[in-house]
Amino acid sequence: MATLEDSFLADLDELSDNEAEMDENDGDVGNEEEDVDMDMADLETLNYDDLDTVSKLQKSQRYIDIMQKVEEALGKDSDGAEKGTVLEDDPEYKLIVDCNQLSVDIENEIAIVHSFIRDKYKLKFQELESLVHHPIDYARVVKKIGNETDITLVDLGDLLPSAIIMGISVTSLTTKGSPLPEDVLQKVLGACDRALDLDSARKMVLDFVESKMGSIAPNLSAIVGSAVAAKLVGTAGGVSALAKMPACNVQVLGHKRKNLAGFSSTSQSRVGYIEQTEILQSTPPGLRARASRLVAAKSTLAARVDATRGDMSGINGKALREEIRKKIEKWQEPPPARQPKPLPVPDSEPKKRRGGRRLRKMKERYAVTDMRKMANRMRFGTPEESSLGDGLGEGYGMLGQAGSNRLRVSSVPSKLKLNAKVAKKLKERQYTGGATTSGLTSSLAFTPVQGIELCNPQQALGLGSGTQSTYFSESGTFSKLKKI
Amino acid sequence: MSSLLLKTLTKKEEIDRIIRDTIDEVLVLRFGRCTDTVCLQHDDILAKSVTDVSKFAKVALVDVDSEDVQVYVKYFDITWFPSTVFFFNAHHLKLDSGTADHTKWVGAFHIKQDFIDVVEAIYRGAMKGKMIVQCPVPPERIPKYQLLYKDV
Repeated sequence: MATLEDSFLADLDELSDNEAEMDENDGDVGNEEEDVDMDMADLETLNYDDLDTVSKLQKSQRYIDIMQKVEEALGKDSDGAEKGTVLEDDPEYKLIVDCNQLSVDIENEIAIVHSFIRDKYKLKFQELESLVHHPIDYARVVKKIGNETDITLVDLGDLLPSAIIMGISVTSLTTKGSPLPEDVLQKVLGACDRALDLDSARKMVLDFVESKMGSIAPNLSAIVGSAVAAKLVGTAGGVSALAKMPACNVQVLGHKRKNLAGFSSTSQSRVGYIEQTEILQSTPPGLRARASRLVAAKSTLAARVDATRGDMSGINGKALREEIRKKIEKWQEPPPARQPKPLPVPDSEPKKRRGGRRLRKMKERYAVTDMRKMANRMRFGTPEESSLGDGLGEGYGMLGQAGSNRLRVSSVPSKLKLNAKVAKKLKERQYTGGATTSGLTSSLAFTPVQGIELCNPQQALGLGSGTQSTYFSESGTFSKLKKI
Repeated sequence: MSSLLLKTLTKKEEIDRIIRDTIDEVLVLRFGRCTDTVCLQHDDILAKSVTDVSKFAKVALVDVDSEDVQVYVKYFDITWFPSTVFFFNAHHLKLDSGTADHTKWVGAFHIKQDFIDVVEAIYRGAMKGKMIVQCPVPPERIPKYQLLYKDV
């Protein structure tokens, strides 16, 4: 017992040891987590302190350089584009490429700033983030609301559609947020300003690219228009990059992924920037999917022409656009009117005779039965019996003759497609089971020659004595009877 | 009005030509006046079924008022308008509709389907080589008339 107690105590000790170990492990993990938390906290503390540590782009040299160049270029009108063999040599093209890259960077930057604003503003109005998705709209709304507790005093009419404004005012009544402290508010407003600045910078860059798009990629802009062309090139990262993409990718460039949880993406139409083109806006909505595929394909071809600078006048692009227009028009044609069809010439088409199992089963109902077959045949040398006796009336043929073992031929049911062996077993069972046979059936046959004849009824059915093998039997039963 | 769609024959040569030229098709000749009401009804049905039956039949109208045609009127013994005579490969086919006169169909058809049935029966019979066919139209839709022969 003492040992038992001791052992229990020892177990407990072990447990505690384990716990201690686990604690240590947790401690380690906790430390790691803490480290990570520290980093995050660092980030957060960083965030809390200064927006600039997060959003560095605006201060970066690259940004400043490019923006300067863009402003210059927007100021002066460029001279006619040189027909260089390689697009990349053109200095203006370099600028465009940089601008494209920059616009992507600015977009990322805006996203970061947006998350910054959102994190801070969560304390005040948590639900706003889910109501207003677009980062720039969010920034504008936050700026307008500021620290206001009563949203109805704030006029959001020009920023958002009225449905969302209603949603905002309703949720603001039930929000658990509290107004922000002053310094936080200042930071938030600063971040909003930053976001709006970035947005306007991006717009400027895009405008510049758009204006140059006619000289950079004339064929592409001939098809989709310079704005969309600029966006496409920007998202792709250059004309050659766009040219290398397959057309199906070009179709979804710029597709806003609004896959809220649980909604299938098959109901969405997978169109990106192409949707904003003039061509697609003017097609009826039923044909939009087909048209977008067509436009994507042709614009990819045009981009390839532009990448190699094969045709600087844009003739190719115009031809492709014409082709697209014609195809879309053709789709919208009404179908040709129905002509009344004349009747076919009588008896010119032969009747199609059908076969198959169903027809065979139908024919079986009218087929000649075994009984009738027996009645049709006669034995040689012996006169047959007849219904009225003495040769008058219907002849019975082999029915009731000596040696046939049947006075009354039992009706054989329709030839079910049973395996031959199974059918035989069924018959055997039926015969020996016997409870259902009528009491008047007799296995005896009265014949004039031999008198009462005792015979094995199973022999007639070809079942033998049950012990005979069917293969070597003398009666020569066929296991399969086929009608010829 | 629908007789505008169907060919109207006024001369003997036209009738001859059309009988000769219709090969392997039933030729339906309607003898009548285009102003008669019963004729109009009959013509309407003919015009509506012309496209349906176009693969194995041809329809033409004979205006009974022109002098050329009187020969045929007398030959076919046409007294009631409209009367329809059927030809196949220049043979005149008879139609046993339970009435007294088998050589032609007297009166208008009640429905389009009747006409199409009759034409089909004639076609089948003719392709088999028969000169007279049974009318598939049920007796209640066969126009009845009395045949007077020299006031008998």
